[in-house]
Amino acid sequence: MTGTPSGTPQRRLADVPHDAWYAAALSDEVGRTPLARTVLGQRVALYRTRSGTAVALADRCVHAPVALSAGRIDDDDVIAPYTGFRYAPSGQCTAVPTQDHVPYGAHVHAYPVHEDGSFVWVWPGRPSLAALRRPPATDWLRDPAWTTFGLEWETAASVRVMQGNFADITHVRHVDPEIAPPALGDGPPPLLEVEVTETSVSFWRDFPPAPMSPWQSLVMGLPGDQRLPHREEGEFVSPGLWVDRWTTTLGDGGTARWVFTHALTPTGEGTTRHVWRVSRDFAPGPAADGTLVPQFTRYYARVRRQLEDMQRILDEDGARTPVFVAADAAATQVRRIMDRLVADEVGRRD
Amino acid sequence: MSEPTPTHVSERECDVVVRTRRLVAEDVVELTLESTDGHPLPAWTPGAHVDLILDDGLVRQYSLCSSLSDDTYRIAVLRTPDSRGGSSAVHALTEGATVRIRGPRNNFPLERSPRYLFVAGGIGITPLMPMIEEAAASGADWQLHYGGRSRSSMAFLDALEQHGERVHVVPQDEQGILDLESILGSPDGRTTVYCCGPAPLLAAVEERCHSWPPGSLHLERFTAKEVVRESADATFDVVLQRSGITLTVGAETSVFDAVRAAGVSVLGSCLEGICGTCETSVLEGEVDHRDSVLDEEEQEAMDTMMICVSRCRGDQLVLDL
Repeated sequence: MTGTPSGTPQRRLADVPHDAWYAAALSDEVGRTPLARTVLGQRVALYRTRSGTAVALADRCVHAPVALSAGRIDDDDVIAPYTGFRYAPSGQCTAVPTQDHVPYGAHVHAYPVHEDGSFVWVWPGRPSLAALRRPPATDWLRDPAWTTFGLEWETAASVRVMQGNFADITHVRHVDPEIAPPALGDGPPPLLEVEVTETSVSFWRDFPPAPMSPWQSLVMGLPGDQRLPHREEGEFVSPGLWVDRWTTTLGDGGTARWVFTHALTPTGEGTTRHVWRVSRDFAPGPAADGTLVPQFTRYYARVRRQLEDMQRILDEDGARTPVFVAADAAATQVRRIMDRLVADEVGRRD
Repeated sequence: MSEPTPTHVSERECDVVVRTRRLVAEDVVELTLESTDGHPLPAWTPGAHVDLILDDGLVRQYSLCSSLSDDTYRIAVLRTPDSRGGSSAVHALTEGATVRIRGPRNNFPLERSPRYLFVAGGIGITPLMPMIEEAAASGADWQLHYGGRSRSSMAFLDALEQHGERVHVVPQDEQGILDLESILGSPDGRTTVYCCGPAPLLAAVEERCHSWPPGSLHLERFTAKEVVRESADATFDVVLQRSGITLTVGAETSVFDAVRAAGVSVLGSCLEGICGTCETSVLEGEVDHRDSVLDEEEQEAMDTMMICVSRCRGDQLVLDL
């Protein structure tokens, strides 16, 4: 007999903290039809009970290698296809079709779940530790003062490669010159301030007054040559959540703010599910969306292609210690935190 | 010399309010610290500590002893007569007072292990409290050996009671000092030892653990370890790769000071090799480690150093700065 019969989660990805919250799905993707997802190499079936509570179970029947996500929901339970084994939200098998009593110990792993109205966060690590870690907050995504759009897709790059990208916005003008604000012009950017805690990294730069890109001035309703100060911010909130901000200070002292939310869920070694959301607290409504949605969709698709190229080179040619530059200060801190979280949960004893 | 790097790295600082203040043992005051702006305080993990930035530039490190599920931080501070001033300043804080903190940071992280031995001396119990909570939650096998002068001087005895036979309370006036021979006498490859307390206890535990597999013991120090100098300090070069700067570190100066003097931003706090803030990745070169943070195995790996005290064994170090 090999493997764990009850499907207790095992560490699957070498470089990724498992004791952390990851966005397994959007809240509105999870309903009364089971949904299959992969979270840190683990197969997860998501559904809702009649009262609306989200459930995340290991997506494999204990009797035969069939996916619960391919089964059906009955009351609060999921019934596996082919075998007909019935599982409660706790993961407990409560009925099997061929005999009266349920085999002892027959259960699938039930993942700790936290739902915030935007995401269904799942804890792929040691389950009893979930209650001791706060899930990340993304309140602005549900705040009516903000207008949000975005897409989600899988990127064939590791979460480490993706974090390295978000930690340094200076790449933007090389990836997509059209979207890059003129503030990110030639020459070294202004002072990069990096602030760390044990588990988070945030950074910011204050750009001196600079004109805006044509698309920016269009949605903001401002003349393109108006020079305004901008602040760029980035934050490694947790292994599964990255948040960037761009704030323009207007002539009247008010602000126009962007928040860029990136829920990053590693699916396998070198693959990551990326949910990106662009939120703004100005120019609500579909007119601005008409300009912004194609713009950002193109930009993030280019980022994805670039990151996938990097991952391919890493895979084919091996990792090397890169030459570091000053702009890597935030990325260095992020890497350090990720490395430590992984080292602690792997441990040196078994 | 080239232009200073336009990067500034610092640890997060914020003001917190003392929400509650209570005496939890003789001369031990416990403060609950709450965010002033309604934002949750930064997340942390067991073993973490914060700097309290007190008046007159006094900065002291205190372990967080709260539950990880709390929105507030808790610290417990022993008033020491020979205190360098920190503990009496903390004891003087009243409910409603505002104090500035920096961090958290963690040099004493809890590694996953099937079994833990926690050894606490006196106020050294503080970082072990959240470790015990986590070890208990993770289903690990664990024992705590907690020594102190007397029951009345030992904090958190009531909270520890719930763990029953896993907790061994050893007040010196009743049972003498911790019997380290029976606690640590049998090296075990599946057990990780976490110890915090006064220097003599740490030294004794370190001595006992020499016969344990490398990496078994994790210590948290309140004060710097005595370092035996092999010879007079020499001059060496440091290449700061990201900044593109090469510096010469003279015998009378530290790597930390030399790096700062060159206008390159680095983190630093205690400058005595105990807090771990200035830990820097070493890309090349052999380090002369003089800190109290890294264990022997980590020091031998030569991939990281505390630049406030540690130096170079050869002519040159290349650092990720």
